Amino acid sequence: MFGSKMLEVAIGIIFVFLLVSLICSAIREGIESWVKARAAFLEQGIRELLHDKSAVGIARSVYTHPLIFGLYLDEYRPRTDARLDALSPGGNLPSYIPSRSFALALMDIAARGIDTHGEASGPSAPELTLARMRENVLNIENGAVQRVLLGAIDTAGGSMERAVANVAAWYDSGMDRVSGAYKRATQKILLGIGLAVAVGMNVNTIAIGRFLFRHDAERAVLVAAAETAARDSSILQGDRDARYARAIAALDSLRLPIGWDDVVLVRPWTTRQAVNVFGARTTVVEGSGLWLHVFEPLVGWLVTALAVMLGAPFWFDILNKVMVIRSTVKPHEKSPEESSEDRQTGKDRTSTAGARSGSTMLAEETRDVTPARSARSEAPPAPTRERAPVPAPDPDNAVDACDVQADVHALTSDEDLPAAQGGIA
Amino acid sequence: MTTRLLWLPEALRAAGCKVALVDGWERRGQDSLGRILGVLCHYTATPDATRNMPTLKLLIEGRSDLPGPLSQLGLGRDGTYYVIASGRANHAGRGEWNGITTGNTSFIGIEAENSGRANDPWPAVQLDAYQRGAAAILRQVGRTAASCCGHREYARPAGRKTDINVDMDQFRRSVAAILSGQSAPPVLIPAVEAVGQARPTLRRGDTGELVIELRRKLNIPGTDGTFGPQTEAAVRAFQREHGMVPDGIVGPKTWTRLDESVRKV
Repeated sequence: MFGSKMLEVAIGIIFVFLLVSLICSAIREGIESWVKARAAFLEQGIRELLHDKSAVGIARSVYTHPLIFGLYLDEYRPRTDARLDALSPGGNLPSYIPSRSFALALMDIAARGIDTHGEASGPSAPELTLARMRENVLNIENGAVQRVLLGAIDTAGGSMERAVANVAAWYDSGMDRVSGAYKRATQKILLGIGLAVAVGMNVNTIAIGRFLFRHDAERAVLVAAAETAARDSSILQGDRDARYARAIAALDSLRLPIGWDDVVLVRPWTTRQAVNVFGARTTVVEGSGLWLHVFEPLVGWLVTALAVMLGAPFWFDILNKVMVIRSTVKPHEKSPEESSEDRQTGKDRTSTAGARSGSTMLAEETRDVTPARSARSEAPPAPTRERAPVPAPDPDNAVDACDVQADVHALTSDEDLPAAQGGIA
Repeated sequence: MTTRLLWLPEALRAAGCKVALVDGWERRGQDSLGRILGVLCHYTATPDATRNMPTLKLLIEGRSDLPGPLSQLGLGRDGTYYVIASGRANHAGRGEWNGITTGNTSFIGIEAENSGRANDPWPAVQLDAYQRGAAAILRQVGRTAASCCGHREYARPAGRKTDINVDMDQFRRSVAAILSGQSAPPVLIPAVEAVGQARPTLRRGDTGELVIELRRKLNIPGTDGTFGPQTEAAVRAFQREHGMVPDGIVGPKTWTRLDESVRKV
């Protein structure tokens, strides 16, 4: 039981990481849509690929080539900032350039030159053939790129398409590097966003872990929610706002010790009043000292931020893997009675595990009752009004259960009732 | 993602009600609840006044043609709320109240233990808990007393259901009074006797010498000092026999009556 408890705590924490990652990546995407750092990385990558660091030669020519120029608004204004990170503004430049457009633009420049005025764009312009490109390759005005282009032409075996593919492959390899650099920069800013969110929403991994370890009900709820989420990858999809709203709502509904509402700020040397979320609000004296009040939140927030850095898809994968482990660790959770005709009740019954004695008796008794009930159900059911074909937006809403006659079920005796709390001053 | 009604026990207990959690309530019921727009009041129509919540098992499990849970809350005759499910329950059926037709999605269902017959009056403690619980839920979801209705009022076609046989207009007035703070605070059982031996109020889960004394007074064999389900059932039986609230809690009144009954013997 200890192992599965730890596993459930882990599942809970992973699920929280997943939700916080979703929130942070949505925030990151919001920032990105405004800053357009991807475009800055692409421009820098193309400059480096074309051996034109300051964008005065071939890189500028490619960006202003009509095939590429159509991908962005306004004039081409090269970035002047030496700094390049996830907050570098990409301006009006495109975030992506298709490799085929890039290759055709470069080859067009090689064959017909940079200038798009007069002769070069008229009927007498040179034909776009491999031979013509080879002849006019000096149009590129960049030794390194000329060499690449010559290589692409010479290894194409006379096929124009193969030459285009060669140049496109070269461009793609450069783009892989751009993607890598961009991803690393993204992780850096995710760490920043993660820290801000962790502190802002007070998502302290250590506190959540401790809370889950101590509160069985909340842990069960969290694991149930994680199970639902793990089955459904739609949590990673949809547009930014929808994902953000979903993750926030999910975090909100989990009743975890996050947020600042319940935190009582105290001086580090006094004891902290922790608020027990379930049931009456009780004061739990958790101890005192610098660790609890200063270092633990700091470490907890940092862990959350580091987890956010790994991204939501990563945590989704991990969650699914851990769920598989859990299903092998706890086979009885799969409920042997599930195969009976009433799936709903089978599912409910699984949750009576680890029960108080009274409720265990209840579960035992219901199991005995079930065959009798199903035998009775084989008799033709009396026509009920609920069965009438009515147009309803949600058919399940047309189901109810009052006027239940006592003889169709075994009654619950007082001894089988769960223990009550409250009502005493 | 879904919103489960995990606040139910806390809200009810804060309203002064007795609350008992049915194992697995946190995960029972489908995840398809919508925004809660009100409370739907039912009775169980089970003519068995000798037990506190005889239909509990049925509400949890459902029946062969209708999967459980059949309501989120069960209300025992002693005014104890049994929290059955935090998800969707099949309680509403076809109907309409204030323009809302999606009963199972939008309403929290409370099934109160009552036969609905003329010879089965509602115990005051149960009706009081009914109103306080409904008020607590409505306050939690930010609705007014008008969002609380009887199944009879909701069900369509009109007359499809008979529950509940309580004047719902009066019920709503009481709920509104509770919501606005005009009604008296809930009457709680004192934690200790005010006079005499100042014995503490005992309930299930308690242990000690007083529990042994209690069991002796109830003629339960053995010297076990644990207030378990059997002891509780015996207390309820004693209280029922003497016309008291059969809640299984041994407060000042029950202590006094127990002393008297022992003296008589």
